[in-house]
Amino acid sequence: MKATPIVVLVLITAVIVATIFLLDNPEKTELMVVHAGSLVIPFAEMEKQFESQNPGVDVQMEGHGSIQAVRQVTDIRRAVDVLVVADENLIPDMMYPAYADWNVRFATNRMVLAYTNRSRYAGVINGSNWYEILARPDVMFGFSNPMLDACGYRTLMVAQLAESYYDNQTIFRNLIACNFDPTVSILRDGDTTTAVVPEILEPQSEKVVIRGGSVQLLALLELGEIDYTFEYRSVSEQHGLRFVELPPEIDLSSPDNEATYEKVGVDLGFQRFTSVGTRRTGKPIFYAITIPKDAPHPELALEFVEFVISEEGQGVLQEMGQPTVPPVADNPDKMPDGLRGAASTEIAMPLDYTESHAEG
Amino acid sequence: MKLAIPILMLCIIAIAATACLHPSGIEDEMIECNLTLIGDCERVLSYDEIRAIPSCEGRGGFFTTVGIVNGPFECKGVSLEYLCDLVGGINATDTVRICASDGYLMVFTRDQVRGDFVTYDPATMREVPHTEPEVMLMYEQDGSPLSADAGGPLRVAIVSNDKLLTEGHYWVQWVDTIEITK
Repeated sequence: MKATPIVVLVLITAVIVATIFLLDNPEKTELMVVHAGSLVIPFAEMEKQFESQNPGVDVQMEGHGSIQAVRQVTDIRRAVDVLVVADENLIPDMMYPAYADWNVRFATNRMVLAYTNRSRYAGVINGSNWYEILARPDVMFGFSNPMLDACGYRTLMVAQLAESYYDNQTIFRNLIACNFDPTVSILRDGDTTTAVVPEILEPQSEKVVIRGGSVQLLALLELGEIDYTFEYRSVSEQHGLRFVELPPEIDLSSPDNEATYEKVGVDLGFQRFTSVGTRRTGKPIFYAITIPKDAPHPELALEFVEFVISEEGQGVLQEMGQPTVPPVADNPDKMPDGLRGAASTEIAMPLDYTESHAEG
Repeated sequence: MKLAIPILMLCIIAIAATACLHPSGIEDEMIECNLTLIGDCERVLSYDEIRAIPSCEGRGGFFTTVGIVNGPFECKGVSLEYLCDLVGGINATDTVRICASDGYLMVFTRDQVRGDFVTYDPATMREVPHTEPEVMLMYEQDGSPLSADAGGPLRVAIVSNDKLLTEGHYWVQWVDTIEITK
């Protein structure tokens, strides 16, 4: 009888420990999805929908810049089930053949100029005069650091493409070059141009604001501390912002204009990642998804990818303001059996965007 | 036997407290790493040699690309500028390259080495100035040696007496080389 209190206490302790353990580990399978930062809102919805259809799965979403997302697998060697990037070229360039050998293109985007009703000249800015408005002395605008964010170097590409499209060789100088010390210079070689970003990119006045990414710039825009920021259209729409739609010849959205886009490039000031060089070339923006070869839950990962590229998944993305394209696989022969039928090998065109928030 | 219950409870509390006191599970004597400093000359410091340098402390945290906040933490380490001074110091036009063992690189200006960063309030995420921010090479976070999962054993941290946040790009993890370039 003397041992009874000890036995009871041990049992109670065991029950408490077991309860805590079960609460922390409700026997759900964790699916690790690492995705591009610009997908954070639509993929939060994808997580919700996928989990509701798969009650035994806990999807762990983690957003990064696309290169950092790939590095989670290649350099940092984390166990990732599904990888989603905002530049489809990164997967073959950084992962083939050791870490992956196929990807599916499933979404797109375009560069816009986001603003609010409080932005100076909000009532008059449009797709024809935006670069003149931005150059006005009383207008402040921002873009993300090209060294740190794809949207940043894509902004420099837009400014270069604008010079040709509007036949005005002062646009890059007036918007970008003259606002930095040391400057962002332009190298011209025939009909191609390259923006050369200095090692340290520092604005020389308050007219231009550089931040590491969208999160900071959107906050400044909403506080009225800047008037405009270059941004992806999907992100602008998801934050309820107004935006100027740029012509497809310069907004990096159109496969029809790929040859034009390829005439511009950006040389980054230093090699931030050993695994990726400093040259970025203009390309249409396509998002791609893959399953790394060492994914811990390949079958579940396959189900998630199937969901993302399914009609239902594409519908979820579109509802969240993320434009999609019919899924296209680059290496169907290497894909898991279940996916081969879900993606074609033909080049797809972007679906039309809704016009609900577009600047008229 | 009446003592058995309190003894058992004390044991449970002791086990829990032990886990809390050493969340990183790392003992100082287990850590082996070298830090290479390159400037006017080159020096290689062991972890123990770094720990022997006069330390600095402060609070700071960072946020990721998608705005997820980490910290603020209680950070302890050595001043980045002090480390640069060990190999000749930094001039106004120099830059400092912080390299990591995973192939990551970030470049700092002299002003940044001295704490010139945009800083954010952890509660509102608004940009707010902070007094005397300092850049350190951190080896202790919240009282424990920095684990590899947290970017250890050596990681850049931007701290001050206030609780501040800075962009996560600058909190270089797994630092192994600091190079001053003219």
